[in-house]
Parts: sequence; C-alpha cells; structure tokens
Amino acid sequence: MADVVGIDVGGTFTDLFYSEDGINPHRILKVPSTPHDPSEGLLDALDRLHETGVRKEALGLILHGTTIATNAVIERVGARCALVTTKGFRDVLELGRRDRPHFYGLTDKQNPLIARNLRFEIGERMTHRGEVQKAVDGEEVRRLAKHLKKLNIEAVVVSYLHSYANAGHEEETARILREVNPDWEIVVSSAINREYYEFERTSTAAIQAFLQPLIKQYASRLLERLEKWGFDRRTLVMQSNGGLTPAERLGDKAAHIVRSGPAAGVTAAARIAAEAGFDRAITGDMGGTSFDVAVVIDGEPEITPSTNLDFRMPLRVSMINVHTIGAGGGSIASIDRAGLLVVGPRSARARPGPACFGHGGTEPTVTDANVVLSRINAEDPIGLTNLDRLDVEAARAAIGSLGEKLGLGVEETAEAILTVVNQNMAGRTRLLSIERGYDPRDFALVIFGGAGPLHGAAIIREVGIKTMIVPPAPGVLCAMGCVVADLRYDISRTLARPTQEITADALAAHLDAQEAEGRGQLEESGVTVRSVLVRHFAEMAYKGQIHTLRVPVERGWGPEKVDAAFAKAYRSEFGNLLDGIPTAIVSLRTVVEGQRNRDHRDLPAPAEKSALEPAGHRPVYFGGWHDSAIYDRETFEPGVVVHGPCIVEQADTTIVIEPGMIGRVDAYDNILVEIA
Amino acid sequence: MDPVTLAVVRGALEQIADEMDQHLIHAALSPIISETNDCAHGIFLPDTGETVAQGRFGLPVFLANMQFTVQNLVEHVRAHGGFSPGDVWILNDPYLSGTHLQDVVLVAPHFVDEELFALLASTGHWMDIGGSVPGGWAPAAQDIHTEGILIPPCKLYEAGRLNDGLVSMFTGNVRLPDQIRGDMFAMANVFHVGQRGLDALVARYGRETLSDCIAALNDRSERQMRSYIEEIPDGVYEYEDFMDNDGIVDAPIRVALKLTVRGDNLHFDFTGSDPAARGPLNLARSTTQSTCFIALKHIFAEVPVNGGAFRPTAFDIPEGSVVAASYPSPVSGYLEPIGRVFDVVIGALSLAIPDRVPAPAFGTVGVITAGGRQPDTGDYFVAVFPYPGGYGGYSGGDGLVNGTPPVSMANFMSIEASEHRYPLQFDEYALRENSGGAGTFRGGCGTQYRIRTLSEMTISVLGDRQDHPPFGIAGGHAAAPSRLVIKADGREERPPMRSKVQKTVLSPDDWVYAQTPGGGGFGDPTERAPDTVLEDVEMGYITIEAARDTYKVVIRETADRPLRIDTGATETLRASD
Repeated sequence: MADVVGIDVGGTFTDLFYSEDGINPHRILKVPSTPHDPSEGLLDALDRLHETGVRKEALGLILHGTTIATNAVIERVGARCALVTTKGFRDVLELGRRDRPHFYGLTDKQNPLIARNLRFEIGERMTHRGEVQKAVDGEEVRRLAKHLKKLNIEAVVVSYLHSYANAGHEEETARILREVNPDWEIVVSSAINREYYEFERTSTAAIQAFLQPLIKQYASRLLERLEKWGFDRRTLVMQSNGGLTPAERLGDKAAHIVRSGPAAGVTAAARIAAEAGFDRAITGDMGGTSFDVAVVIDGEPEITPSTNLDFRMPLRVSMINVHTIGAGGGSIASIDRAGLLVVGPRSARARPGPACFGHGGTEPTVTDANVVLSRINAEDPIGLTNLDRLDVEAARAAIGSLGEKLGLGVEETAEAILTVVNQNMAGRTRLLSIERGYDPRDFALVIFGGAGPLHGAAIIREVGIKTMIVPPAPGVLCAMGCVVADLRYDISRTLARPTQEITADALAAHLDAQEAEGRGQLEESGVTVRSVLVRHFAEMAYKGQIHTLRVPVERGWGPEKVDAAFAKAYRSEFGNLLDGIPTAIVSLRTVVEGQRNRDHRDLPAPAEKSALEPAGHRPVYFGGWHDSAIYDRETFEPGVVVHGPCIVEQADTTIVIEPGMIGRVDAYDNILVEIA
Repeated sequence: MDPVTLAVVRGALEQIADEMDQHLIHAALSPIISETNDCAHGIFLPDTGETVAQGRFGLPVFLANMQFTVQNLVEHVRAHGGFSPGDVWILNDPYLSGTHLQDVVLVAPHFVDEELFALLASTGHWMDIGGSVPGGWAPAAQDIHTEGILIPPCKLYEAGRLNDGLVSMFTGNVRLPDQIRGDMFAMANVFHVGQRGLDALVARYGRETLSDCIAALNDRSERQMRSYIEEIPDGVYEYEDFMDNDGIVDAPIRVALKLTVRGDNLHFDFTGSDPAARGPLNLARSTTQSTCFIALKHIFAEVPVNGGAFRPTAFDIPEGSVVAASYPSPVSGYLEPIGRVFDVVIGALSLAIPDRVPAPAFGTVGVITAGGRQPDTGDYFVAVFPYPGGYGGYSGGDGLVNGTPPVSMANFMSIEASEHRYPLQFDEYALRENSGGAGTFRGGCGTQYRIRTLSEMTISVLGDRQDHPPFGIAGGHAAAPSRLVIKADGREERPPMRSKVQKTVLSPDDWVYAQTPGGGGFGDPTERAPDTVLEDVEMGYITIEAARDTYKVVIRETADRPLRIDTGATETLRASD
C-alpha cells in the first residue's frame, strides 16, 4: 500500500500525520495555519514533510480535514444567496421554531444566512402526501428569475413545503432558473435533505448554498496547488459523519464538512479505543479554547442527525455527535461576584493568549497554571506554541494577583484553577454518558488535543473512569483520523407512516433505492475500496412522540420484525415500553461505507519491561512540590510501565500522570493510565 | 472556608441537581418531560427549606417556585410528625406548590448518620390530572375542582413502603394511568441519584465541612445578589398592566406592582392588583414570587439559583388577589398572568435601570387548541399551537422575532409535521410586518399564521394582549397588540372575548388567523439611525409610512431604483420634531 498523508487544518495549527502503512505514525508535523488561504499552510506542511526525506512520488493519498466551512458560516463570509419558497413561508428561515438564544437573558437575535429582501415566494403547494394542490406556474418562476438576475445573486435555494414527499415542483423551478441563468449555483432542498421539518431542511439547503461556491473554489485551488507541487493522485476530505469524500466534488458536499476536524479526531480515537480493547469510550479533545467530548459504543462514534451551527441555524446532515464546552488552555480564571473562582468560558484565544506566551496577556489562564506548576516544560514548550520558551514570571504574576484576592499562594491558586477547569470537564463528561443512560464508569477516556493529556488524569479521577488512553500522537489525532477513516455516505428519506403499513416489499424497495444511491456516490468517488458495508436504519417513534430512536433494520423485514427491533431499542434506551401504542417509521436511513485497504491490527499484549530510565527529573507541583521523573515519549515501547507522579513529554503534547497512577504502554504504543 | 473547596463543592452540588434533571428527562414516559424538559429538581435545607442547588435543565417557570413549595411543605410536615428516613411526600396543591395541578412535586428527606441532612425535590408535569378536560387546561373552569384532582401534602412512601392505595387513587382518576404511573416512579427514582451524589460528597468532605460549605455558599450568593441590587438606584418604582379579561367576565384585570429599592433590598408590593378572576387566569402566590425572580434572572443572568439569592427580597401580595389566588380559584390559565407579573417587574425596573432592562416581550402564551377526530381513522386528536412573538428592544440592540415566552423553552411544531399529524393545513407562517414597538432599538416583530381546517374540529384559544399591548420603555413605543380572526359558519369575525375562545366548532375549509404581538420598543424612535430605518424598510420590518411618521425618516421610492433616504427632508422632519 502506498504512503498516506493526513492533514488537518485547524484555526491555529495545520497538523500532518504521515504513515507508510496507513496506521503507524512515521512523521508528525505541526505548522502554523494560514487563515487567509488555508491551502497555503497545507502546502507548507507538505514542504516540511518533503524536507524530512519523504519523496513526493511515494505519496499515494492525501486525506484532509478542514475548518474552512465552519469559519465561513460563523463569520458569515459565504455566497450571496436568494431563497424561493412556497407562498406564505418565505420567513420560515428567519422565524425558526419559536425559541431564544439564551436560557436566561432576553438579548441577541437571529441572523439568517439569507436576508428577508432576498427571499421570494411562488404560488405552488404540495400536500403532505406529495399530491399537487397547486401547480407551479412556469411564467411566475421565469418572472422571478428575471428579477433575481438584477440582484447580483451567486446561488439560489429552492425550498418548497413537502418537497421531501414530491420533489417535482422544486426540480421544475430549478430547471427554469437554470435556463434563465446557467451561472447560478442552484440548491434544491429535497436534494440536500429528503426529510420533513421545513425550517431545518430550508436552513440546511441555505447553508449548502452559502458554502457551495466558496468550497468549490477552495477545492479546485487546492488541487491545482497540489498538482503544481508534484502530487496528482487522490485527495479526499473528511466529512462531519467521519467518512471521506473526494476533493473534486467537494462543492456538492459543502454542508457535510462543517465538522470535518472534530469528526476526524473522534474517528481516530474510536479506532484506537477499539484496538486497545475498549468497546465503550468517551473521547476528549482539549485545545486552546474548547473541550470537545463524544461517545463511542462498540467502536462506532455516536452519530447525530442534526446540529445547530449557530442560533437558529440547524444543519440536518448526519454527523458525529461532538459536544463542546468552553474549557481549554486559554480559558481565563477569574473571581465571580460571590468571591468564588471560575474558569472559562472566556478565553485569551491565540492573541493575546496566556500570560506566559508573552504577547501582552495579563489574565491568568489554564496554560499559565500548568506552567507555574511546572507540568509544562517552560524551556521546551513544543506542542503548545511556536515560542522558544515560556515566560514563567509573567504566568506567576498573573496567577499571583488572582491569588491575592483569594488569599492563596501562587502554586495553590494555580492548582485551584486546574481543579475548577478539571471539574467542569469531568462534569460534562459525566453528563454526556448519563444523558444517554450509561454509567460513566464503564467507559475508557481517549484523551487528545494539545492540552488534553495534561488534564486527562484529573478527569478520570473525578469521573471515576478506570482507564485513560493516551494515543501515540495525541496532538495531531485529527490528522491521524483522516488517515484511518473510510468513505461514507448517509442517505435518508422521510416516510412518516405507521409501521404496520410498510410491507416487507415496500421497505426493501426504499432501502434498495437508497443503497443504489450510496453505491453510486461511492463509485463516482473513484477511490478503490476493499469492501463495501451497507447498513440500514429506521428512525422510529411511538405515535405522537416528537423524538425518534434509530433502529437497525434489514431488507426483507416486515412490520412485525421492525416493531420488534424498535421495542428492543426502546427498552434498552428507556427501560420500558409504551405497550398498546402503535409505532411509526419517521424516516429510513442507509449508510454506505467504502472500507479502504488497510489492516486491522490484533497484537498480543506485550511483556512488561523493567524500569525505564527517565530523561531527567524536575519538581512538579501536585498539592506540594514532588520530584518527578520526566520521560521522553520516544523512548517508550510496548510493555513499558511508569509510575506517577511523572511527566511524559513528546513533540506534540505533554502528558501528566498523577501521583498514585500508573501508565502502561500497550502493543499499539498507547499509554493506558489507571489509578494504581 | 477555603475558596477552592467552596468552588468545588458548588460545582459538585450543581452537578447533582443537573444529573437529577437528566435522569428524569431520560426516564419519563411523557413527551412533555422528555422533550420539553417540563420538570425541575433541587436540593434544599431541611430546616429553612432554602435552595442549596437547582438543576439547569428544568424550565425557568420552576426557578424559585421549588423553594416556596418545599418551605410550605416543611411547615406542614413539622406539624405532622416530621420527616423520617424512606419517606417520600407528594403534593400538587397550587396554593402551596404554585403553577397548576399538572405540576406534581415529590419531596424526599436525606439522612446522614440518622440525622436529617437535606431535602430533595422533583417536580414533573403530568400529562393528565383528571378533571373536566384532557390535559388539564380547563378554559371554562370557575373552581379548582373542575381542573383536576388536588393532592394535599401526603406520603407516597412511608419509611420506604409504597402507599398502594394512593397510587390506585391517582391511576383511577387520570386519563393516562400507565403513563402517569411510569412518570411518578421515574420521579421517585431520581432521589437515588441525589442521595448517591450527596453521600459521595459527605464521604469526601465530611458532614460538617459540607454543611459549612452550603451555608457559606448561600451567604455568598446573598452577597452576590445584593451587589446587583445595590446597582439599582434607591426609590419606589410603580408599574401596572392589565389582562384583557378572564374569558368569562369581559373586564380588564389589573396587575399592579410597587417595587421599593432600599440599598441592597428589594420589596415587591402587589397591593392594588385586582381580586382573583372568576375564570382560570389566576396565579398562586409562590408563582408570583417565582416570576419576579425569573425576571431578575433574565436581567442579571449570573444570579445564582439558591436560597441566598432570594434573601434580599420581601413580598406583599394580598391574599385572594389575582396574583395570590386562594381556594377554590381556578389557576389553569396561569401562564397569562405570569406574563403580566413578568412585565410589571420589567416596567418597574425600566424606571430605575433602563439600560439594563429589555422592553417587554410579546407577553401572551396564547394557546390555540384544536381537537376532533381524524377523518381516515376516527382517532381522537388534540393539537396545540402556542403563540410565538417578538422580544423587546434593549440598550444593545433590536428584539428577537418568533421568540418563546421568557418562562418557557418550548418550540412551535413544524408545519410539515403538523400537516402529517392533524387534518389541517397552514396557509401562512410569516413575520408580522410593522408589529414591533418602535424605538431607537426596535422590538422584534410578531408572527402571523393561518390554520385552515380539513375536517370538522373544535377549537379553543386562550390568549391575551389585545386590549393592552406590550409597552415600550425609555421612550420606546408599544408593540402591535395581538389579533385573532376566526372564519366559521361562512363568517369571518373577531371573537367576543377577543383573545379567548371557548370550544368553537369549525367545518372543513374554515380557519383561524392569529397575529401575535411584537416586543416593545426601547428608546426614542427618532434617534434610530436613518440607515437602520432604511434597512428596516428594505426588509419589510416596517413600512415607508412608519419610517416617516414614527421614525421621522423620509425614504424615497422610485421605479426600478433602490430605496434611498431623503437626507434633507429627514433632517427637516427630525429637527421639527
């Protein structure tokens, strides 16, 4: 198998993971990101890789994660779009479904991607069964199209009521629009999301249209640059669902890559946990501003059918369910009106950054606390920043002034900051599993991100998790996720009909059509896959319920089998059944995965190695200064055992193993940390 | 007490309350709990009933209400033998536990070393509570018994033994016995979560340290609350507002507040409010108190939710008034007077600290209920469409559109999903132009929608704010009032009680048309930037006429050219104002 390169372009760093065999890290690199044109940083990383002696011709595949779509939405720098809706409903995009931005506080408001003066109505109507109640008047559409031509529009979204049941009107409208101006990007809602809920579908289509021209442009520029650089083989991009898609057609998938980076991280973490022998894992990614957590069951990251990109901006595409809280290395510690210490969600961000960065930051941050306690090596701060050394005195000053207000010394204050931020992360981690009815103690924690391994030990201690898994390259795990991911397409369609009415034949017909569509997309991608895995699910509910439950189904099943599967899933989720209430199939979902050619490893447990020589010692503060061993991760090999308190340093992060904990290197070069 | 331990204990107590919320939300059968979080959980001091911590996932409407309920129960239990290990008390008497009969409260004592350490409480909305109408909202109710069964404080479990007779009494009197039974046991199970969490904390810190922490935390919250009150200038601030009518007697109902700020104390005096209404638009005393806190919490979002924060406040609420209803006044329409209490608090505070206060939101939870039989199956259905509306402008910006009421978090159902579920069709769901209160910062527009029937059904509406629209503050203007038109029997008309309709039968192709209020305006509209007024006109949020007459901005419209401001004419108009 040819060499592969995973490149994750984040807000601050562009990470590269290079592997000759598709799993083991043979080079890992970090270069600064270039937000004005992210492909520049990506090329910088490739140049650096080339400088380390990797031949350009050796590269077979580039796999890429990107934040370009997320940033475009958040900063509202996308295409100028128009929206065409059913008469009476052009405001749905702005109105949403009756809510407010904050639980407490009555300020702030909606900011729709398409403003009201660019939203138009057509006098057509479909019923919920997909019957035409009022046909589209072609002349009316043509008149509107001519009007739109004067408005300097790049993309047009067509979103009619009940188009998931009958897309005819949307398609006819799109055809006329294309006739009038072939240069427009046309997005019809039924092609983006074939499910009911008009606001969510319209919003998803608007996000797609808003991003489509930008992403198209980005992809073609990237491919052009890569070719000039000397790479002309396949480039695949990570989607939010944890699957890859080819860069050539990336514009069409614009709405599917908004959670590209986080999805890559969870994908890698899921694979690592499964290999290490843990079927339930919580993944925790701590960076500069946030802590992202996700749940993995039986090696599968939990998938959510939708998320909110912003207030009143739902995106209905399958994606890995990642929860974020404002806790990161840059989180600022302060004292609230009750006189108590709080940490985050306010962040010092990249600029000015923590006080120890020396960019003028004066407020104490989590990173400053780690520096003061000597958990981070101030003289060699790799994995945190591009600085040569960190300004310990600035960190002490920032923390000291906070400590005066609390009546605590510098080290005590720093430790208090860690205690509070760790409690925040531990609390979210617990809730995440509890919300799903699981006991958090049954999980392993896969910790990663530049700051994660500094805090993971405290999190498992707080939550009561037995094992923390520190992957070989925790600081570039998202880049690794790109490398290990498969191709994946999620196809879904709303039925909203009683289960009893869906015969085995009807179900099979729906599933076959979806499977064919997914296989078609897979073939179009042109990527060689070793095998194709197809799975079908029904989103089901008891009649009257709003929320649905995802139930695995198979072609050939009739209503009885489907109902039995639902009952099983409902009982395991809620512990009981609502006997006597009929069920409904709200939608059917087909997941088509093209599994790439790589081997699943199954290595024997290594024999325990005798004591490893530390690279050095230094005092590190754990409720008092402890002389602690400092290890170099590069000296670790399977079977190595280390005892806390100790620090493990590596190129992309620093790992803290607390007093009373023990770390063992497993066969896959992970460190498994447990309370001794 | 060292500040680090305090910070950690505070986080841990809040986590316990949050986990109690999540456990019920996960385990409840009824969608109203599992999908709209219509529940609340908290930890309380056993002697004073003060809140130690309350979960973040429950609805705002239960914010302080839980504490008042527990305090009323503590008094009752003291007179009836006190708490014993394994007891679980239950009640829904709104005159003691606030809101309405559907909100049932369970309270369990937690003992440490055989000594009473804390009380745990769980509130959950039951989908049915018996009475004359399914679901419990009885528009024609003139006493509490029409609304459902009233549960006085009694023991559901005594020393760990379930009172089977009581359970049978419930299941024999509600319409959804299995669901109610399931929800009740789910609520009782939540106490294990709370008890486990508290035991772990006691094991970690020791009983005494934990008690000291709790006391210190409440004291600190009190200080925190007082620091906000101190920022409000001393004075007496009076505001009054009205409900249209109670649906039975066509007369306005006054809610009056005299708010006195003295140093770091607040005194809420509702003397001058009208006597209880005959119809169900009454509030229990504790809900009135709670609503005052919800308003404060929306203004000072950092205010902690515990007993210390409630200490600097005092109340005068005349017994038997519309804001402290007594037996047997009906309360099932309590969400409308809540809106009025909320807005008089906003109104009074706007006189003191206008820059901190948003103008009132649309202020009516107006519910359109449609019920009938499905034409194809004959199954009974009930569809509920609550009013959305605009939020008020505030010193930092314009108001939201299509908001949910400040005491709620519930959504409006998807139009496509509604058409799947019920024999009706929407003709329109749109922003209501020109309905936001004018101001330097404009109130958000209201919403308008027309629901057309496809088969025969009966509709009821309980709304308000037709005669008394959401007001503006700091020189801002009032929003447009709500408006309701019904087409039935071939006639289109506004109902006699305007905002309230009881059981009107609609035939196929009849309709209900609702226009909901916007939010009030903030500040003088003639100080709104002309460019922003132009944008409002371009977007259709206001008309060209309103721009000229209210905002004093002259906008010219010429064929095939973009709208533009006539700067000269605008300056002249604004100067002459």
